[in-house]
Amino acid sequence: MLTLSEVTDISGEEGNLQVKVLQHPRFVDMDKCIACGTCAEKCPKKVEDQYNAGLMKRKAIYVPYSQTVPLKYAIDKDNCIYFQKGKCRACEKFCPAGAINFEDTEKELDLKVGSVIMAPGFTSFDPSSQDTYGYAALPNVVTSLEFERILSATGPFMGHLSRPSDKSEPKKIAWFQCVGSRDMNRCDNGYCSSVCCMYAVKQTLIAKEHSDVDLDCTVFFMDMRTHGKDFDRYYEHAQEEGIRFIRSRVHSAEPVPGTDDVLVTYVDERGHQEREIFHMVVLSTGLEIDEHVVALSQRLGIELDPYHFVQSDTFHPVATSVSGIYACGAFTGPKDIPQSVMEASAAACAATQPLAVSRNTQTKTVEIPAEKDVTREPPKIGVFVCNCGINIGGVIRVPEVAEFAGTLPHVVYVEENLFTCSQDTQDKMTAVIQEQGLNRVVVAACTPRTHEELFQETLINAGLNKYLFEMANIRNHDSWVHANDPDAATQKAKDLVRMAVAKAGLLSPLHQTDLPVHQSALVVGAGVAGMTAALSLAQQGYPVHLVEKSGTFGGNALQLHRAYQGEDVSAYVKKLTDEVSAHDRITVYPESTIQGVDGFIGNFTTEIQTPDTTETIAHGVAILATGAREYKPDEYLYGSHKAVLTHSEMDRLFMNDDPRLKAAQNVVFIQCVGSRDETHPYCSKVCCTHSVESALELKRRNPDINVYVLYRDMRTYGKREDLYREARKAGILFVRYALQEKPKISDSGDQVRVVFRDPILDRELAVEADFLCLATAIVSYHDQTLAQFFKVPMDADGWFLEAHQKLRPVDFANDGVFLCGMNHYPKPLDESIAQAQAAASRALTVLAMDTINVGGVVCHIDPDLCAGCLACMNVCPYGAISEDKEKNVAEVNEALCKGCGACAATCPCEAAILMGFNNQEIYAQIKGALAA
Amino acid sequence: MNHTQQSEPIQGAVMVIGGGIAGIQSALDMANSGFYVYMVEKSPGIGGVMAQLDKTFPTNDCSM
Amino acid sequence: MVQNENFEPRIIAFMCNWCTYGAADLAGVSRLSYPPNIRPVRVMCSATVSPHHLLRALQEGADGVLVGG
Repeated sequence: MLTLSEVTDISGEEGNLQVKVLQHPRFVDMDKCIACGTCAEKCPKKVEDQYNAGLMKRKAIYVPYSQTVPLKYAIDKDNCIYFQKGKCRACEKFCPAGAINFEDTEKELDLKVGSVIMAPGFTSFDPSSQDTYGYAALPNVVTSLEFERILSATGPFMGHLSRPSDKSEPKKIAWFQCVGSRDMNRCDNGYCSSVCCMYAVKQTLIAKEHSDVDLDCTVFFMDMRTHGKDFDRYYEHAQEEGIRFIRSRVHSAEPVPGTDDVLVTYVDERGHQEREIFHMVVLSTGLEIDEHVVALSQRLGIELDPYHFVQSDTFHPVATSVSGIYACGAFTGPKDIPQSVMEASAAACAATQPLAVSRNTQTKTVEIPAEKDVTREPPKIGVFVCNCGINIGGVIRVPEVAEFAGTLPHVVYVEENLFTCSQDTQDKMTAVIQEQGLNRVVVAACTPRTHEELFQETLINAGLNKYLFEMANIRNHDSWVHANDPDAATQKAKDLVRMAVAKAGLLSPLHQTDLPVHQSALVVGAGVAGMTAALSLAQQGYPVHLVEKSGTFGGNALQLHRAYQGEDVSAYVKKLTDEVSAHDRITVYPESTIQGVDGFIGNFTTEIQTPDTTETIAHGVAILATGAREYKPDEYLYGSHKAVLTHSEMDRLFMNDDPRLKAAQNVVFIQCVGSRDETHPYCSKVCCTHSVESALELKRRNPDINVYVLYRDMRTYGKREDLYREARKAGILFVRYALQEKPKISDSGDQVRVVFRDPILDRELAVEADFLCLATAIVSYHDQTLAQFFKVPMDADGWFLEAHQKLRPVDFANDGVFLCGMNHYPKPLDESIAQAQAAASRALTVLAMDTINVGGVVCHIDPDLCAGCLACMNVCPYGAISEDKEKNVAEVNEALCKGCGACAATCPCEAAILMGFNNQEIYAQIKGALAA
Repeated sequence: MNHTQQSEPIQGAVMVIGGGIAGIQSALDMANSGFYVYMVEKSPGIGGVMAQLDKTFPTNDCSM
Repeated sequence: MVQNENFEPRIIAFMCNWCTYGAADLAGVSRLSYPPNIRPVRVMCSATVSPHHLLRALQEGADGVLVGG
């Protein structure tokens, strides 16, 4: 990891790139810094804190935030008094570890890599230049990022909702949407930033939660773009919670004389100007690409679009114009966290594909010494008590604690260290364990959450099982929080050491076993997502079984005319299908279904029913890419009048160059048919863009045609907003309708008569339409059988439920099973392809292993004690427990167990135990805690 | 394998520029599938913008 | 039960490794201050804390038990 670093140049070819990296000096030795924070405490210089969006101060020597990785301080040279004025060096004087190095210099590194992924992220639009919103002049007009910090418990007001000017609690807050987005007048950002509607809704709800009063939240918006999975439900929930959403364009925010309040002037949907006073205003600022990133891209020759996002095409969403350089995240277009994470995995897959032959050539494996058998020895415990410089020793009387540790049962060795975690102490500890014949180790220092692994490695190096280790957290849980009471802190430290020693005496070695991984994959569904995933894995060198229930490959994409950037879909699908069919590592199973699945990550066996026979295959991972389908409505005369079509039917007319298209005079589109209603309370995401595309296509074919789009919110998110703008420029009419007042359709011979209300004119209009295109929903196949086979959950709408909606968007909680494409949620082709590459990437992390390691801190059910009540099976959140029907007992599959111990708490016979946290060990800790 | 013919072997290392949530995910995936990863981050620590967010939809989890 | 004004309760806190224990770590990093009466027991999930554990703590003389998860 190279921090404080920037890439200055990349040369060479994909597979062999030379990268020049400039590493700026940190002035702190990373090996020595123990992140105690003394330097920052002593540093006299206060600086604006960027992490808190400038709402707070930090010091000139700092970590950006308390959970920073790596947790090492750095000197901000531009603000350091020593560097600016030549005197101070307070940090150097007080650093207990001698980590400060004012002589640190800039380094130039030349690195050789096969490919590069650019994930430089975004910056938040700076609204200072837009004086109509008063951001620069009014303290209580803040950006959304500033508001995040205001809400945060680690922020400037410790999470208390306060406004900046007088720290008073606001009772009325306004959010302005589209600040620096969808705006070609006040800035050049014509795109929609995609995320602001959703984060504004989130902020209103969280602000309400943080507020002691009934907070009045108002969102001023143009279109509410809550098009993601479960987003619409959240938006509706916000409306139920009393958040006001006003469809409008804000004119200005001005000071209210004599107060710190803000006067908001806006124009509502009917064109009336309104005024209202708020205590605070949040600007929902858009996403922009940093100018440094633009400069670097230009230097590297990466083609950017006019908004400075990467110019990528629908079928290669993470590629750039330079071979060997890939991009992901907000750099390829504004997007939210799950989409960024998906693209990140997709880029990982795409960037390593050309390097597959060199897999595992530059990674390192470590030699592990043989493990000593200690099961027959009585406990011989060594206790290492850390001073952590002055962090512990400055409060707790460490010598007293060490002496006390020596009096505890089974303790044969005690040592005090200045820094137990330092590398030289590790080497010494290894020697001591061997010389003294220690078979249990206790370290009384900081937290196991950051340091347990380090010490466990030392145990391994000393030939001890790593689970024969326990920590007493006498820093984070003691000296740091009881700094003003050294006596009590010292007593608590003794108690913590007694607890740790008591538990350590009972610890037994835990073993992990290696299970071989079947290095092949099963992909279910041969639409574009399934084929992309299959091809990615095959090109990475792994055999793939591709199962498709129908006789043709391509899925929904076969019905699509063009992608939103104008690309020809059918040509691409044909190319993809040919590549898949021709690839010697892909076995295809058309007209086949899954009949049964057994096993777990690395070791699945699946039964496939082909037209002729039943085959059983072994595979290490599975990717579900089963798609979704277009909803066929039973309203708006669909099915009974030939002028009424769905999108796929209209695309068919385009593909067939149907002469009726040219002859048509009036075409009407109705949005949200079957979406965002009671039966399907979600947004189908693709239909707004599809309608705009088709409307433009009609105009291209016949410039005189009249096209009307009847919509509820136009959700042409991200770069798709350009199409919407183009459509309005081309004279396509967009008219909003409300769910309570849907357009009315009646038969009118060859045409249909569409009657709708225009909310701006506030009058009813009628159109005799030659075609009525219904933008119908995307609906799930609700394949419960498949879900049960793979033990994966489905939500109320029938979408497969990923392991984590933000951070694990293509994983299932069931390890080794992944998802992509529209069975996850409706999405356009580019996102399906990215998700498919992402699923392949996640699958590769399993396939690249020869074996998987199971065991360690997992549950075990003693068959002699188990009564077979199966209560454990019902509480296990991971489906790791099954019934051994012969013995009538429950059994844990260690490969599935995550070690939560829910079964252990439920078992009435104490047959289920969590290894390393068994009852005896916990009882010993309790006893130890209360023995004083 | 044709690659043995080439003067320089294909590298088994990759680079990620940017240590935000996207960069971190790419780096983890590639490291876990057998490639050595260099991560280049301009600030003193990784985490990016997501680390600045208070809570995230839908569970209102803290974003740490 | 409360004997006198100097009564100092002894509290056993079962802390989930992934949240409460981490939060307690963060309290330290943030140099917050709280009374020294708590003795934390780290568990891998609050779901693993059974009534037995709570009763055992009380039996051994704890004045209170906290389960954080």
